Amino acid sequence: MKDLCVPIPNFGDEEFAELELKIGKKKIKYSFRVVSFPWDVEDGLLVSGDELEISLARIYRLKKEIEGYDKNWELIQIFNPSENADHIQVLYRKK
Amino acid sequence: MIKTIELTKVFRTDEVETTALNKVNLEISNGEFVAIMGPSGCGKSTLLNILGLLDNPTGGQLFFMDNEVSRYTERNRTNLRKSNIGFVFQSFNLIDELNVFENVELPLLYQKVSSGDRKKRVEEVLDRMKISHRKKHFPQQLSGGQQQRVAIARAVVSKPKLILADEPTGNLDSSNGEEVMNLLSELNQEGTTVIMVTHSPTDADKAHRIIQLFDGHIVTENIKQKI
Repeated sequence: MKDLCVPIPNFGDEEFAELELKIGKKKIKYSFRVVSFPWDVEDGLLVSGDELEISLARIYRLKKEIEGYDKNWELIQIFNPSENADHIQVLYRKK
Repeated sequence: MIKTIELTKVFRTDEVETTALNKVNLEISNGEFVAIMGPSGCGKSTLLNILGLLDNPTGGQLFFMDNEVSRYTERNRTNLRKSNIGFVFQSFNLIDELNVFENVELPLLYQKVSSGDRKKRVEEVLDRMKISHRKKHFPQQLSGGQQQRVAIARAVVSKPKLILADEPTGNLDSSNGEEVMNLLSELNQEGTTVIMVTHSPTDADKAHRIIQLFDGHIVTENIKQKI
């Protein structure tokens, strides 16, 4: 067994999930955050609105948000957004 | 060792055009251990295949050991690949009809290494991977961990400068996965450059640098440790 999948309820952007794993007497603590960044939003980046421009605008927004995010947290995973989602979820782990 | 300038890969069918890599700029130095992460469909394996000279980009430039190789023919790519690059795959990709010794010997046969040298080098690497006691066994007779050790032996027997690993622990349990990661780290510490695609944050922690890919773009790079 390599991974344990732990179901967690939805939690707010400003909250974080803490997991504590105990193996024998050893405790390992993890802190995770799932953050939502803007993906398909009206922010004045689009001029023509063609597919390529929309795609580049999404990546630009995502890069900017990741660059500006709290450096005490490291990016673990970017989740594929669902169709027509206006935000994209990103998983961070406390360094 | 590797440099890409606006590397692009577009897959085209009659009806659909999919951009798997979109102007990727990347530089990987000799001796680095780089992890590439990202969700399914983000272009990780396409990037690894192009860096490993298994496929050509449709745009941009790819430099491998100072040579611009993006327009190389299949034959030129093969020549460069067989003497410089070793591959490790999630599903091991061993040849079922060959035993362990013969699987590991294969890259040396392609390089036309003499029979005596081949025997010596295969035995050395099987010893190192702690699998020599299984050299007469066939892949189906081995556990997943043992098969991956054979696959790594095959990847390193020709002493490549670069190892490309696509989800190397994806089919292994934690103990065998850790062993495989330790082997890759050891090879890297001895000077081999390693580029690994992974979904596992634990495996990525072993790398010097983590590249996050999304929708064919590099969205961030996280330097964990300097080489």
